Amino acid sequence: MTLNYLLKRMLGTIPLLLGVSLVLFGVLHLAPGTPMDVYADNPSVSQEALDQMKVALGLDQPLPVQYTKWVTAFFTGEWGYSIRTARPVVTEISERLWPTIVLGGSSFFLALLVAVPLGVLSAVRRYSATDYGITFMSFLGISMPVFWLALMLQLLFAVQWRILPSAGMQTIGENSLVDLLRHLALPALILAFANVAGWSRYMRSSMVEVLSQDYVRTAKAKGLPHNKVVYRHALRNALIPVITVVALDFAGILSGAVITETIFAWPGIGRLFIESMNGRDYPVLLALMMLGSFALVITNVLADLAYAAADPRIRYD
Amino acid sequence: MTELSSPAPVPVRVTRTESPWRRFLRTFVKHKLALIGLGVLVLMGVAALLAPQLTPYTFDGQDLDIIGTPQPPSRAHPMGTDELGRDALTRVLYGARISLSVGISSALIATLLGTLIGALAGYYRGWIDTLLMRFTDVVLSIPLLPLVILVSGMIRPSVTLLICIIGALGWMGTARLVRGQFLSLREREYVEASRALGGSHGRIMFRHILPNAIGPVVVSTTLAVGSAIMLESALSFLGLGVQPPTPTWGNLLNSASQWLQGAPWLAVFPGLMILFTVLAVNFLGDGLRDALDPRN
Amino acid sequence: MKLSPISQHSVSRKGRLLLALTSILLCGTALAQERGGTLTVGLSYDIDTLNVYSTGYLGDVQATVVEGLLAPDKNANYVPVLATTVPTIKNGGIKLSADGKQMSITYKLRRNVKWSDGAPFTSADVKFTWEAIKNPKFIAESKDGSEDVSSIDTPDPYTAVVNYKRVAPDYASTLFTFGIFPKHALEGKDLNTDVYNEKPLGTGPFKVKEFRRGQYVIVERNPLYWRKDSKGVQLPYLDQIVFKIIPDANTLVTQLKSGEIQMTPSVPYAQVTQLDALPNMNIVKNNVLSWQHLDFNFKGPEALRDLNVRQAFAYAINKSAISKALGGFPKPIDTVVVPVFSASNRNVTKYPYNPTKAKALLDAAGYKPGPDGIRVKNGQRMSYKILVQAGRANDEVAQQVIISSLKAVGIELQPDNKTGVAFREARYKGGYDVFYSGWITSADPVYSVFFKTGGVNNGQGFSNPRIDTLLDRAENTLDPAVQKSALMEFQAELTKVLPTIPITTNLSVIAVTNKLGNFVPNPTNMTNFVNTSSWYLKK
Repeated sequence: MTLNYLLKRMLGTIPLLLGVSLVLFGVLHLAPGTPMDVYADNPSVSQEALDQMKVALGLDQPLPVQYTKWVTAFFTGEWGYSIRTARPVVTEISERLWPTIVLGGSSFFLALLVAVPLGVLSAVRRYSATDYGITFMSFLGISMPVFWLALMLQLLFAVQWRILPSAGMQTIGENSLVDLLRHLALPALILAFANVAGWSRYMRSSMVEVLSQDYVRTAKAKGLPHNKVVYRHALRNALIPVITVVALDFAGILSGAVITETIFAWPGIGRLFIESMNGRDYPVLLALMMLGSFALVITNVLADLAYAAADPRIRYD
Repeated sequence: MTELSSPAPVPVRVTRTESPWRRFLRTFVKHKLALIGLGVLVLMGVAALLAPQLTPYTFDGQDLDIIGTPQPPSRAHPMGTDELGRDALTRVLYGARISLSVGISSALIATLLGTLIGALAGYYRGWIDTLLMRFTDVVLSIPLLPLVILVSGMIRPSVTLLICIIGALGWMGTARLVRGQFLSLREREYVEASRALGGSHGRIMFRHILPNAIGPVVVSTTLAVGSAIMLESALSFLGLGVQPPTPTWGNLLNSASQWLQGAPWLAVFPGLMILFTVLAVNFLGDGLRDALDPRN
Repeated sequence: MKLSPISQHSVSRKGRLLLALTSILLCGTALAQERGGTLTVGLSYDIDTLNVYSTGYLGDVQATVVEGLLAPDKNANYVPVLATTVPTIKNGGIKLSADGKQMSITYKLRRNVKWSDGAPFTSADVKFTWEAIKNPKFIAESKDGSEDVSSIDTPDPYTAVVNYKRVAPDYASTLFTFGIFPKHALEGKDLNTDVYNEKPLGTGPFKVKEFRRGQYVIVERNPLYWRKDSKGVQLPYLDQIVFKIIPDANTLVTQLKSGEIQMTPSVPYAQVTQLDALPNMNIVKNNVLSWQHLDFNFKGPEALRDLNVRQAFAYAINKSAISKALGGFPKPIDTVVVPVFSASNRNVTKYPYNPTKAKALLDAAGYKPGPDGIRVKNGQRMSYKILVQAGRANDEVAQQVIISSLKAVGIELQPDNKTGVAFREARYKGGYDVFYSGWITSADPVYSVFFKTGGVNNGQGFSNPRIDTLLDRAENTLDPAVQKSALMEFQAELTKVLPTIPITTNLSVIAVTNKLGNFVPNPTNMTNFVNTSSWYLKK
């Protein structure tokens, strides 16, 4: 893997993001309603003021011009102002980004930590009761509506047993790590749940495949201890394809946060997204969607790189 | 929604000894969970279709004597009644109609779109391929759940529209899959042969190549049914799904959530329905994957 | 029900009416009020700005920080806050011009009031407030009343004379009651973006300590607050109030149960029973000045302009079923002036639940049942879109009862629920066929905004010259007798023309810890937090 390749990939994301911006802009502007509707019912905003705002926001110009202006401004970091709060979009989003990264990041690692051992176990004990049990559990995970599970866990942990807070990111006035972790526990668990299921299934099939390959059989035939074979040789190779899937799902975790954050009153970008949608706050919405796409595209590149790093046979030029 | 690992495109080998269909059946029936899944789905489908025959109530019939207080399950109402005095079983049955149609129809739309786009790209290659695949990449680069929320938030959808939205935003995986299959299959001898015999492009694509590429597509369609049902319930939670009084499992679950302690039965049954259906779909998908995998 | 995410100017205002309301008495206590403690309150909406004139919500938090000259009390009567008396004609505070068409109001201001930064509060602040709000560059949610004022004189720092262009009996419920701006901090600033929107500076019992968007607002004791209790103890008693933002209604209730919050101003009816069972929680039922209504769009389908059809709707709707479906909390009403007002007319035309009569009316008017049971006339199926605000559980329940009631007489209603801006736009522009929702008013409701031709909230496009005249008469006089008779007649007429069907009057359900002393609910749009200085927590 060369620096050249990295550069090439990075450059390749630019047309992709441009395409994304075109699609998003189209979706928002073809839909009924405009950002000006916020003031539709507001008698204190005169027609004159409306027209002025329209000009200021460039809404009086033809769509292609609007798009070009927006996209140049966006890629040069001018994200404009929120219609709902009149604050800069950058401020709005940056305030909300950290909580989502904390939540998304921890549930990502939580899911990984649980999914990989489960997948390996399932593969090693293929067709055993353990395997069926794990399979069944992981299918349960992808079949349960998130908000449903969340409500049950809240009632159990916060009301019945009173051992965890039911919502929010911190106890007011407390800034300790323990407090954050206590608040993080339930939402991170919920968000991780669905991914544990998917990933452990994937890990299982990847592991099964590796275990049936010649070099593993050779290693076993050579008399290497079973555990050593499984954990040193097979696991490493089985992880390679899993890395790709897992990395790609990271962006998915972030978007899953839309629901989790609403339930757990978590102050992240997922909730900002919902509020902005209710407020038809187009500048914030566009910026959030672009950011989400950017995260997806970047994790894509990272997945490839990780893939290459894990498997010395893969070379990119 | 979690997309299960899509299998890498696998060339399907046509064997002489046994027809693919028989081989498929032989492998499939060995997969017990898949069979159970299929059974559950068929049962659900039949129950949904026969809803008017299975229950003496209508889905929006309110009993004004008990309105305001949900009643626990009883002889007359095996799943109890909801806060408007409606029979919960009836609503779950009618909900099955909507939820299953949303799941199945949107999965079919996504599959059709994806197959068409993938087939065109893989068959014609060149600039058509580049154009279609770049477009696929672009749509794939937009986070799905927020996009669906955004679109259904802007146009509060009817059932039909909801199906179209979920379908129209879920074809990309299939398109990539089908393209991969087409790229490899189009070089096969039998395709060359039919081309030499003057078969039209459409005929070659859909009569000769597609049947051999269909395996993984079937699996991904099956799984998409489950994802769509889950997506509908997520939208219902955000108040963007199908609007009551038309019942769906998602909106039943959502409106039951505020009765979770007072009337838990209202939430238990639709929750179980979603659970069983998605579970069944996934088992079925798993079975199909195994059965359609030529390595077995 | 506090119509929480309802914009403030959906809230209307008008002339002095006698009230007798608010049912609840909290467990009286002889304990001495104790200083200290933090009250944690759960709010279900995400605060956009802390500027009370800009926010799209009712200003719960703002009410603890910002004060006006007057405020409504628990009976929706105005009491002086930063003014020393409520101006009336009798006490010479209100003077009518010679021709009786204009008025001027003199406010005597309280001395020794300081802004929480120590600067003195004077009549200049009152004048500045009007100027700032009137400024077209300021995009406010509510500018009500600012156009009625022609000038303000400030003869001395403690006197403000407000000159009105017209006789405005609703003066008390508009800008000077909403809150006063600090001139020294805001002069020359852009109110749309100023830091005031994050940390408003007020004269109220609390000041903003921290505002974390999407999470919470902490307000802490304002040590310079002017009010003392009867024993001379400096108010407020509470050290802090924490407002936590919890958007999901179920989570809100869970937080009450787990003790993470101690109060929430609006509990969904469905959850009241379980909260009532909690030993340390009081459920306070508050008769709010609000009513639920079903409106017809006069710019919509032709049939809805047919009085027979509207009457059929009225007879078909089972109001007591709606009330029962909502736990019996909302009470059926027959007129838009809610029963707590003395001007509520009991002798209006009534439409008791009578589906047979509804069917007969429709039959007679030529709407005959089609093959699917839905009536048809001139090829037009009686199928209409009904709008309610999505996510308001109570409204969505009522909507389903209405849909079912009308189906029984052969009219199909299809839900077309919207939320946020889309909802407001539909409400104000008439983006519906029929519309079910609620209005909350101040103690002095102005009905012209809803029913007068071109009224701000008249999204249904209703216009009736006789109603216009009656409302003009009611809303341009300071004579309570004239006003009352005009309003009585207005109601009689309105129920005959029937542009709107009054459904129920509302009760908001507040859950609050039994440790909170001196809490009295407030029925108006000024929220329950309008007088927090005397609240205290029992140890």
